[in-house]
Amino acid sequence: MSPLQFAGRSLYRQPARAILGLTGVAVVGALLFDMLMLSRGLIVSFRDLLESTGFDVRVTATEALPGLGPAVADAAAATDELRGLPELAAVVPVRFGGAAVETRDKKTRQVAIIGSETRRRGEWRLVEGADLGDGTDGGRPDMVVNRTLAREEALAPGSIVRLASTLPGREFRVTGVVEFPFEATGESMAGVTLRGFTLAFPTARRDEADLLLVASQPGVGTDAAVAAIRHARPDLHAFSIDEVLERLRHAEFSYFRQVSFVLATIASFFALLLVTTLLTVSVNQRLGEVAALRALGFSRRRITLDLLAESALLVGGGGIAAIPLGLLLARGLDSILRQMPDLPSRLHFFVFEPRALALHLGFLVLAALIAAAYPVILAARLPIAATLRRESIS
Amino acid sequence: MSARLRVLFLVLLVAHPAAGLAASEAVGQPVAEILVSRGLLQERGLSVGQIVMLSADARGAGARPFRIAGVYEPTPDPSRFTAKRLEARLHLPDLLALTAEPGEAGVADAVGAINVALEDPSDAGAFARELGARAPGVSVVRAAAGDDEHFMIIERFHVAISVVTMIGSTAFLLALMVIRADERREIAGLLRLLGLRRRRILLQALLEGLCIAAAGAVFGVLLAAATQGAVNAFFQWRYDTTLVFLRVTPAIAARCVALALPLGVMAGLLASWTLLRRPVLDLLRR
Repeated sequence: MSPLQFAGRSLYRQPARAILGLTGVAVVGALLFDMLMLSRGLIVSFRDLLESTGFDVRVTATEALPGLGPAVADAAAATDELRGLPELAAVVPVRFGGAAVETRDKKTRQVAIIGSETRRRGEWRLVEGADLGDGTDGGRPDMVVNRTLAREEALAPGSIVRLASTLPGREFRVTGVVEFPFEATGESMAGVTLRGFTLAFPTARRDEADLLLVASQPGVGTDAAVAAIRHARPDLHAFSIDEVLERLRHAEFSYFRQVSFVLATIASFFALLLVTTLLTVSVNQRLGEVAALRALGFSRRRITLDLLAESALLVGGGGIAAIPLGLLLARGLDSILRQMPDLPSRLHFFVFEPRALALHLGFLVLAALIAAAYPVILAARLPIAATLRRESIS
Repeated sequence: MSARLRVLFLVLLVAHPAAGLAASEAVGQPVAEILVSRGLLQERGLSVGQIVMLSADARGAGARPFRIAGVYEPTPDPSRFTAKRLEARLHLPDLLALTAEPGEAGVADAVGAINVALEDPSDAGAFARELGARAPGVSVVRAAAGDDEHFMIIERFHVAISVVTMIGSTAFLLALMVIRADERREIAGLLRLLGLRRRRILLQALLEGLCIAAAGAVFGVLLAAATQGAVNAFFQWRYDTTLVFLRVTPAIAARCVALALPLGVMAGLLASWTLLRRPVLDLLRR
């Protein structure tokens, strides 16, 4: 009989204990798996969002992240200068603002407004109607709105949006419904041209951009594009997607990374403690049996293998059950965290990666080995004759 | 009533404030005073009384001198606790003068928001309606305190994690109690043979489970109370904030004990019952 079969029978002999052990390992394993997904989930998800725009470099006026620092002055000149660089395929200035829009019931609604050029790549995705044009219809500049704003204000291509935050109220014509990559759940957003932006925000400084979105030439690479921008305009700050993510990893996203580290450590320790306890007690209760097996000719190595196999079955069985359980749990936890205000609706906290699965399995193998260590020592050092004598007397 | 500009970004120049200071003194203007946040003071190595130059332009154009009059601790903001609070507070006229461009007279008299304190806070709804009618285009938002959505969501997340941990702990506890009951199988058989009823033995198991659960729960609460300082100190150091991340309150301790005790008792009873329902001779392995 192989060690695995022997271990299987040993567990089968005490089904309640085995099932509870497997359940415990499965639950803490699911928690461990989730924490491994959480540790990099935001970064992976945010990378997908950034890459979905089609721009691989962001240029700002200072080291602050886009939208969190002063705007780029003389934006038109800066844009033209960067467009002249052979390493760059596209440069698009973007402005951010918040305005009040007059609602159907004559109240106001806060709308986040993005000003951009008509020559675009992926600042938003057209869902219905037409994209922004340079022209104006009867003095009304074009506007695209997101689905939330369109649904709640019953807007469709051709509708008129009246801003309440300008005096007199400025009107825009809706040309289409779009999806912004960074729109939050329930957030009303609209996109206008840069000229439309100056009309929506008459007091805003002219010729500024909160951000310059840059796409590098295919084949040139992001790093070369960033270097070219830094060389041409040392007064500006260029960030590749990797650099943006690295900063977020150390600042904005660090809390969940640390929480996941703490909880993953606790979950691993818990799984280890559970399996060690079960195996140790199991060995203690079977000292006579182990001594008898040794007397029958079972080597120390064989006893060790039997215990390792028992540990592997407990941890392996629980660990495998932990994967679907963890994925299910991650969906629930993700839906809780995604309720946070102002978070992009496409951002996820728990993201499955092969790396997380590999780490999960690695942790479980380590836990199985460490958990078996103490019971193995107990069994291997067992004095055969004395134990058999004690067992027969008792 | 007080007024403030909405979030505004200024550039701090500390390299050569002398030129701006001289220019300011030459025209007979006293140097305006500002307060800087503790984070900004430490990050840039500033000191109280120092003259710094502030500009609304990223390249430092139009910078003006200001004297640091004091340092303040920004009110902790749970939605921004991971961000460094590099902030300064200016008198409103100074800020407006600094940010207005030449020829933009209107901007020099524009503010992003006005904070209003009502005599009776319950009038907020009526005030918002009246102001909305009198000044179309003005958006009235009620300031919330103590019910920040971020807090509530983080709390929900932590509760969910606690539930999962509790399920795992229960399985662990049940396994331990099953093992313990199994170890005392022969003793239970002997007690039954001596005439003790199942109920009597179960009562003993119940009391034992209660004692173990109470000891475990109290130990857990004491451990959490003892380590909360270290956890808070770490996160406060890590994020340079005065926010309290972990606090073991009597209510939380009571909730913890109230959950642990029934779980411990149930685990003890369940494990003992699975054993005691067997025939006496089976318990004695005969």
